[in-house]
Amino acid sequence: MSAPFFKFGLFGDNISLVIAFLIGIGFGFFLERAGFGSARKLTAQFYLTDMAVFKVMFTAIITAMFGVFYLGWIGFLDISLIYLTPTYLFPQIAGGLILGIGFAIGGYCPGTACVAVSTAKIDAVVYVAGVIFGIFVFGEAFPILKGFYNATPMGQITLPQLLKMPYGLIVFFVAIMAVGGFAGATWVEKTMAARKGVRQP
Amino acid sequence: MKLDLARMSRNTKLGLLVCLLGLIAAFAGSPYKGTRVTLDATDLAGIVQREVDHVNPTDLADWILKGRSDYRLIDLRTQAEFDQYHIPSAENVPLAALPDYGLSRNQRIILYSEGGIHSAQAWFLLKAMGYKSVYMLRGGLDDWKDLVLFPSLPPDPNPEQIAVFAKMKEVSKFFGGTPRTASGATTPDSSMPLPKLQMPGSPSGPPAAPKKKKEGC
Repeated sequence: MSAPFFKFGLFGDNISLVIAFLIGIGFGFFLERAGFGSARKLTAQFYLTDMAVFKVMFTAIITAMFGVFYLGWIGFLDISLIYLTPTYLFPQIAGGLILGIGFAIGGYCPGTACVAVSTAKIDAVVYVAGVIFGIFVFGEAFPILKGFYNATPMGQITLPQLLKMPYGLIVFFVAIMAVGGFAGATWVEKTMAARKGVRQP
Repeated sequence: MKLDLARMSRNTKLGLLVCLLGLIAAFAGSPYKGTRVTLDATDLAGIVQREVDHVNPTDLADWILKGRSDYRLIDLRTQAEFDQYHIPSAENVPLAALPDYGLSRNQRIILYSEGGIHSAQAWFLLKAMGYKSVYMLRGGLDDWKDLVLFPSLPPDPNPEQIAVFAKMKEVSKFFGGTPRTASGATTPDSSMPLPKLQMPGSPSGPPAAPKKKKEGC
């Protein structure tokens, strides 16, 4: 048996929806348990007082990276069959900035807003209504935005392909970056706590 | 300097583990070992016998109606035949051009030809090149015409068959076909005109750029 299971036909479309539902519920549950259903916790990273979001996201990235790399390395996972979101450089930079601004202002990103809605947080309900309104505006304005939406297509690329470096070396650099990021984030938290005269828990 | 694991915090231990895994990765070599192409004749024969490598024309029609974009439909016939008629959303790739056409290995690929021989040959070709999700349209374009464009009611139909036929009549009209009211016919009448290529909601011509998938955190 090899992975990815769906691509190798281990289960069909209907079962894949059930699995997606279970993974989604699990993802939401752990986001909520990590405190990501709270806008205060999420926005604290922009004030550099609590870098938990940064740490959790980076942990997810390197866990997935090691998983994909080593499962591919032992021959269990066919990496070439993993779906890659195509890169559209400038539209995605613009989209990232808009999402980031919305995140800082509203206190949630779309996924965490849904998590907060599940615990009946009013601000999250307003946020999700804003997301839906934004989707509506985007859909209506799509004919105008279409040119930019499809601009600078780079295809399904990976860092090893783009930088023409061995896959393992990129894994090493990202791992070092993660450790550096963790140490830096912890240092920033301590510095901010000391400046405020608050002891870090 | 001596490493004292017992005195280290959990975060430091995890940090060291990440560094270690990163360092091993740097010297481990290619992670594409799962991509090796190995042909298992028994496995292939089993797939052929179980017919799990087929897509029914009615299912394909349903996918096109629903606007699904998670597959690529490849028409293996000649350019002239393709220009005369093709299934909406199909791309014309003659068999000889298939290996270099640049199909992605992580996509579901559905092949069809006039009958089923060329698509079966192309199926083996792609399987031998390590493609995993390759399917054939059952009965090729012949069955597409028979079941989707010009569906007919079997003789002495039961209520279920009548219900299916009623649905297929709508599907047939969507694709520009003509449902046959006379029952018992097994092949479409050669005098039946093939629909024009402009289908409702499915413009002909070069396939549109694949739809972007929306993802977010």
